[in-house]
Amino acid sequence: MGHAAEGGGPSLSTAFRRARGGVVAASFHVVEVELLRSLVGQLLELVREDPADLTAGDRWAAELGLADDAASRPTDPVLLRLFPDGYREDSEAASDFRRFTERGLRDRKAATAATVLASLATADGAGPPAKSREKIRIELDQDESEAWLRTLTDLRLALGTRLGVAESDEDDWLSLDENDPRRHVHDVYDWLGWVQETLVRTLSSALD
Amino acid sequence: MTAPVEIERPEAAELPKADVPWVTVVWNDPVNLMSYVTYVFQAYFAYPKTKAEKLMLDVHEKGKAIVSSGTREEMERDVEAMHSYGLWATLQKAGDRV
Repeated sequence: MGHAAEGGGPSLSTAFRRARGGVVAASFHVVEVELLRSLVGQLLELVREDPADLTAGDRWAAELGLADDAASRPTDPVLLRLFPDGYREDSEAASDFRRFTERGLRDRKAATAATVLASLATADGAGPPAKSREKIRIELDQDESEAWLRTLTDLRLALGTRLGVAESDEDDWLSLDENDPRRHVHDVYDWLGWVQETLVRTLSSALD
Repeated sequence: MTAPVEIERPEAAELPKADVPWVTVVWNDPVNLMSYVTYVFQAYFAYPKTKAEKLMLDVHEKGKAIVSSGTREEMERDVEAMHSYGLWATLQKAGDRV
C-alpha cells in the first residue's frame, strides 16, 4: 500500500480538519484549486468515455445483459485499475460481472467527481473573485467528504498507474532529474496523497 | 387467454447450491493509503477499528485478505462496493486457494 509523504512536501494548503457545524474544512491556494479542477475534470471525461459509444438501445440491452460489447475488458491499464475484474480465474464470470457492474460504477464515479467539482466551484463563487496568491477555504459536509475521498483515490489510482508507481519506490522518484515531467506528475500524486491523508484522518476520528 | 403450463419440477441434483459460501478478497496495491483502506473497512463493513486495521495489515503484509463471506450475490455486492471505493477486490468460492 502507499502512504502519504511526511509533511506532504512543498504544499501551499492547510490540512483538512474538523470545523464548526459538523463540516470539515481546508484551505487551498488558488493554483491548487485550479489543479484539482483540471484533474477531476479529466477523470470525469475518462470514466464517462464509452468506447462503444452506446445508443439508448444498446444501453438498454447492456442493462439486460444482452450486449456483449458493453462487457469488453478495458485495454487501458488505468481503466482496468478503476474497473478491475471481479473474478481472477474465471474469465466468463469476470465478463458477466463486468457486464452487470461497470456501467453503474462508471456512473457513480462520474457523479462523485461531479460532486467534487461542484464543491470546488462554490468555494470561490461564495466570495469576491479570487486573486492570485489568495487562499480558498473549502468546506465539506459528510456526503461531499465521502465524494472527495473516493475521487482523490480515483485520481491517485489513475496517476499512479500511468506513472507505474510501485511499493516503496519513493527514492526512485526523488532521484529523477528535476526537468523530468514524470517527477512533476509524481509530486502532484504525492500532494493528492497528503490531502487525502489529512481528510481520511479527520473523518476516521468520527468512526472510532 | 393463456392455458396454464405444466411446470416441471427440477430434479434435486439440478437445484443451485445456494448454501455454498463465497468470500471477498482484497488485494494489495501500491497506491491506496493504509489509513484509507482501514477507513473503507470501517465505513462499509461497519467493522470495529481493531478488526479493520488487522485486515488492512494482512492486505499490506500478506498481499491479500478475506474481508467478508456470504452468498455469491452478497459477495458480488461487496466486490462492486470495494471497486467503487477504488480497492482491488475479487470474489471466489470459500475454500478455493486464495
